[in-house]
Amino acid sequence: MNRTLNVTALLLAAGLGGVAAAQTQTSYRGPKVTLTYLHGFTGADRPVMERLIAQFNAAHPNIQVRGQAQPWGTTWQQLPSLVASGRAPDVVVINEDQITNFIARGAVSPLTNAELQSAGISKSRFYGPLFKTADYEGKSYGVPISSVAYVMFYNKDLMKKSGVTKVPTTRAELLAASRACTTDRNGRKPGQSGFDARSLNTWGISLYNNWVGSRLAYAAILQNGGSLVDSKLNASFNSPQAVEAVQFLVDLVQKHNVARANSTEEAELAAFSQGKVCFFPSGQWYTDRFEQQKMNFGIAFVPRIGTKQDAAWGGSSHMTLPRQRAGYDANKRRAALAFVNWMTSPNQNLAWTEAGSLPVMATVANNKKFEGRPIAGVFAKLGNIYATSGFPWGGQVLGPFDNAWANAYSGKQSVKAALDAGVSEANKQITQARKTFQ
Amino acid sequence: MLAATFGAVPPQSVPESAVSLSVPGKAARPREARRRRGGREGGAITPYLYLLPFLLLFLVFVVYPVGYGLFVSLHRWDLLAETRPFVGLEYYRNLFDPETPQSQFFWNSMKNTGFFTLISVPLLIGASLGLALLLHRPIFGRAFFRSVFFLPGILTVSVMGILWRWMFDNQIGLVNAVRTDLLGLQPLPFLSTEGLAWVPVIVGTVWWTIGFNMTLYLAGLGNISQSYYEAAEIDGATPWAKFRFITWPLLAPVTLFVFVTTVLASFQLFGQTLVITSGGPNRTTQSTIQYITEEAFSNNQFSSASAMAFMFGLAMLIFTYLQFRIMARDARGEG
Repeated sequence: MNRTLNVTALLLAAGLGGVAAAQTQTSYRGPKVTLTYLHGFTGADRPVMERLIAQFNAAHPNIQVRGQAQPWGTTWQQLPSLVASGRAPDVVVINEDQITNFIARGAVSPLTNAELQSAGISKSRFYGPLFKTADYEGKSYGVPISSVAYVMFYNKDLMKKSGVTKVPTTRAELLAASRACTTDRNGRKPGQSGFDARSLNTWGISLYNNWVGSRLAYAAILQNGGSLVDSKLNASFNSPQAVEAVQFLVDLVQKHNVARANSTEEAELAAFSQGKVCFFPSGQWYTDRFEQQKMNFGIAFVPRIGTKQDAAWGGSSHMTLPRQRAGYDANKRRAALAFVNWMTSPNQNLAWTEAGSLPVMATVANNKKFEGRPIAGVFAKLGNIYATSGFPWGGQVLGPFDNAWANAYSGKQSVKAALDAGVSEANKQITQARKTFQ
Repeated sequence: MLAATFGAVPPQSVPESAVSLSVPGKAARPREARRRRGGREGGAITPYLYLLPFLLLFLVFVVYPVGYGLFVSLHRWDLLAETRPFVGLEYYRNLFDPETPQSQFFWNSMKNTGFFTLISVPLLIGASLGLALLLHRPIFGRAFFRSVFFLPGILTVSVMGILWRWMFDNQIGLVNAVRTDLLGLQPLPFLSTEGLAWVPVIVGTVWWTIGFNMTLYLAGLGNISQSYYEAAEIDGATPWAKFRFITWPLLAPVTLFVFVTTVLASFQLFGQTLVITSGGPNRTTQSTIQYITEEAFSNNQFSSASAMAFMFGLAMLIFTYLQFRIMARDARGEG
């Protein structure tokens, strides 16, 4: 009897302590409010998100969050009319390819430093470029919750068979390793007489023609000190640095014969799974698939193809507070910021990585849980991942850019001609788009 | 099917008595006249009241969106913008100004859509008629083959698209596997070669939609009386002559229906190219609807997209008008 009482008392104390701790954590102490939270995590990540929301609600008696999951595309189409009619949800998750456009059109509200501070959100908690993805004209508009990145998968078995002992990290190493991995149907190596580049048995690196394939060109351009747009936000991906970087990639096919010409993402993915290609640059989202296949593979950061800096493409989701009608309850905004803070805190972000996201902050990346996992191979450089954001005309820039990559890779146009044509098309479209923002 | 039956009967062969029986006799007329004069059984407004529910739906779902779309196309319009200035015909002029991307890409997409229609419609009519002729005869496993040819039609466009993208993949597709492994040829990069990229789109579309047209033709064939063929056989007609002078003319109403629906479906090309080629390479398979979608939802140029939609609608309207003219003439000519 006595023991039971003691246990009950202990449990009670622990429970109270827990509640107290949770309440001191949050910045919101106002009256009870209900928040609507719109996000696009509709796949395998949905139950994880719903579990997190339930945990938040349990720990915060005065804030009730109602999550609503719907496909991203639906949100992009609905958000303008929701904001215009003053019926926007209190919190909306927006992805990196849309966010600058919505910021420039005034759909989301800036988060002031004072607000962030009082909610306990510290910018320095996150990877720098990741947080800046939702910045525009010196203001911050969103807090990163989820992130994906372009990485380089490598096949350990084929590398060993080809005598490649080190994962390449530089341009020269990448070329040498790729050569070692390449053999034609008759076992000849590139450069040997009789080598048939059209029927490769194994090859060094996967290049392919769709938008995912073009993200390697994006990484190479950034690494070389180039960029998609210049300081006036006009397209500039035909700068000498950009041409030089993309030329190296195209040469891997056309000059060095260590990659297949005219290939598709599906074909290269299948080839990598079958052990025919050493290096497969693509989204980190394929990790689960290769793990389930029990492949002997590793994950590395995209090698330094350029000379200036480390860089790779990343995609991300950011929690934003949409613009609301006049007279919007200030308590709701404070509560929403408390929710954003909680959801983007280390514990929650660690739980969220189960859904396939990369850590959004170094604290989480350092967690023991990731030790020995292939994905940990890129964690040291998560601060060098850059989204295609910062200009309000994402479609106008990325459409022509992806098309330019496809034309250069297929050899339809020279690299210079393809990038020039892409920039010219993009800038015509940007000129038109600018009128909408005046 | 009813249309096919009536179309199959030449008007001169209908006996006079049948006509007079089927038309209401003189006895019916006074009653109608009384009703019209009396007006107590319902005022002049009654028929319009019955039409009202449809009128409401028509106003809400057709007139209002069309009017709103026209408004959008004449303004620099964005829901979130504070001002939405009137710009007149600027977005329509863009379509005819060779300096703008819109004129380049819109007419390119119109050309692509037209090309697709031109190639796929004859294939879809010819092949479905051929299949229907084969499967109309009492061959072994007829019901099975009818179902097999009809089945692809129940797939969604994404399933069908992914399937044919895989079949024609540049590297790992079945078509290229056959070319390289069985025939010893070089693989053809179907998906990334201008011109060749149409092959998976058109083959896939024919495979996907042929069953529906085939079913219509089978119904039409079932309504042709065997007595015509028996009479022709007595006169010593060849199989070709029987097809040319009996089957083909008596299928004319079905063919017209199939033609009109297939042309309209082909003009609405969207999903197939979106999934199989994403409009590439170099926009050579981009359909008009895909380009309009890109302009609206990728470039956020809603006014420009609306203007294009109106131009596309206008082109469809002109085309449909011409089609009706030809239809009317054919209907008169062939009864």
